Amino acid sequence: MTPAKKAFTRRGLVGENRPTLWLAPLLAVVTLFYLYPAFEVLRYSLTNASLLKPDYEYTLSTFTQTLSDPVLYGVLKTTAIFVVASIVLQLILGLVIAVAVNRASKRRLPGRVFMRSLVLSAWVMPGVVIGIVWAIVLNDADYGLANLLLGAIGLGSVPWLSTPSTALASVILANVWRGTAFSMILQYAGLQSIPDELYEAAEVDGAGKLQSFFYITIPQLRPILMINIILITISTLNTFDMILPLTGGGPGQATEVLVLRTYNVIFQNFSLSGGAVLAVIMLLISLALTLAYRRLLRSEGTL
Amino acid sequence: MKSRKTQRLMGDALTYLVFLFALIFFGGPLLWLLSLSIRGPQEIFITSLRLIPEDPTFENYTEVLYTAQFSVFLLNSLKLALAGSIGAMLVSAPAAYAFSRLTFRGSGGLLVGVLALQMVSPLVVVIPLYRYFDRLNLLDSYFSTSMVYIAILVPLATWMLKGFFDGIPPALDDAAMVDGCTRFGAFRRVTLPLILPGLTSVFVLTAILAWGEFVVPYVLLSDPSMFPISIGILNFQGNYAANSTNVLAAGGVLAMLPAIATFVILQRFIVRALTSGAIKG
Repeated sequence: MTPAKKAFTRRGLVGENRPTLWLAPLLAVVTLFYLYPAFEVLRYSLTNASLLKPDYEYTLSTFTQTLSDPVLYGVLKTTAIFVVASIVLQLILGLVIAVAVNRASKRRLPGRVFMRSLVLSAWVMPGVVIGIVWAIVLNDADYGLANLLLGAIGLGSVPWLSTPSTALASVILANVWRGTAFSMILQYAGLQSIPDELYEAAEVDGAGKLQSFFYITIPQLRPILMINIILITISTLNTFDMILPLTGGGPGQATEVLVLRTYNVIFQNFSLSGGAVLAVIMLLISLALTLAYRRLLRSEGTL
Repeated sequence: MKSRKTQRLMGDALTYLVFLFALIFFGGPLLWLLSLSIRGPQEIFITSLRLIPEDPTFENYTEVLYTAQFSVFLLNSLKLALAGSIGAMLVSAPAAYAFSRLTFRGSGGLLVGVLALQMVSPLVVVIPLYRYFDRLNLLDSYFSTSMVYIAILVPLATWMLKGFFDGIPPALDDAAMVDGCTRFGAFRRVTLPLILPGLTSVFVLTAILAWGEFVVPYVLLSDPSMFPISIGILNFQGNYAANSTNVLAAGGVLAMLPAIATFVILQRFIVRALTSGAIKG
């Protein structure tokens, strides 16, 4: 570094030991691609802007219209069912597999690494491909894999994707297939951090396997389970790619979740302002979840 | 009272029971896709569980690669994934270093702010950008699209890299600076090389996420020759699906293979990065 440059960087705001220059690229990206869009979404939600015409005026009517639209409540209900069912199933399935993998690695049983890789493969696949895989597996006709399996045990075919309730169940199933891996990884890490002494002490005191599971494992995993719930909620709320090839939001609006509805309002109905109102709702939900997450990390003393 | 040995055997049996279930639930759909992808058109509609077709063929793969232009889509995905993850590393590494090493007012608040960005749906980001880029004539441009990819990957990359920097004792930077390095020199010559495994895993993870990214190109790109594989395959499904499920399956295999292969090869790194990012912050 030349002496002149060094003298410059010694100054308060831009010195090497000041954060400004280090953070400059990050702050630029945040401003251009997050703060500005968030502001714009908020602004558009207070207008009657449409994608079809350049002019718009400010009004509160889009807000009141969107919030009084009964379709919104149907969409929110579908979204809530999708999120809650995904949380419950992913937590349970993730925990069961994590416990099995953890036990297998303590006992050095063969197949544990393969198992972990297989489950994680589902998670790293592009979401659109996951939707396509399940659209093929859950084909309503007799030659779909799910219906073939049902046939093999003597049951009749199910119209997986063409009735409202089975379509929602199918979307949940595909989402659980995708997301379980993440729960498994988190909970596996949590299981490994539980000291063996706790279990040994419990055994000395005469506790059975089930008792140690409910009185040691679950309480010790509690903070990770909470973090897991927040992260599943976020990723499920933002799920859009997988649903399009699987059901496209249908039949009717049976699987039209909030993010898909937002897209459709803007790019199918061309109502930029209506979609912006929904985007504001999405922003508020993410904000609430962030605050919950921060509280959790704080109480764990990691932030 | 059961003996310890039978108890242990029962535990092992239970473990493998769980494995068997996971094998069928997670492996079944993938095997089915593979099986369909090597069937000829006359074997798509058979109602039997046979996995290996009577007359296996690789024609579906050549058809989807060349006739349906998947070779173009795959290459586009690669370009966008690399641009996104390299850009995200360039932006995140210095920021993560500052969060880890420098003490300044508001650093905790800013870090939570970055965490909050990770929760924002890419759709919310892209809505106003669509109109904005339209006016600037930046729709259908890889430059603007990769910038948005970078923006979406930056929060995750920053959090993970901060975790890796935290694992290196600051005394090493200090020693380098005593020896005459500037702080930037210490960052570049000492700290960055030390977290190379961390850099690798964050790079691979962001590249895998970018490979599957859907919403951003779906909104910002409309020229089919620029589509990444996620959009290419969705359009293919919409246009042809019903009587060419075997070709669609081959396309699905090609679309997921790069992500899965990269991941399986480097999973040791990635799994560690994932857990440290989510739990330790």
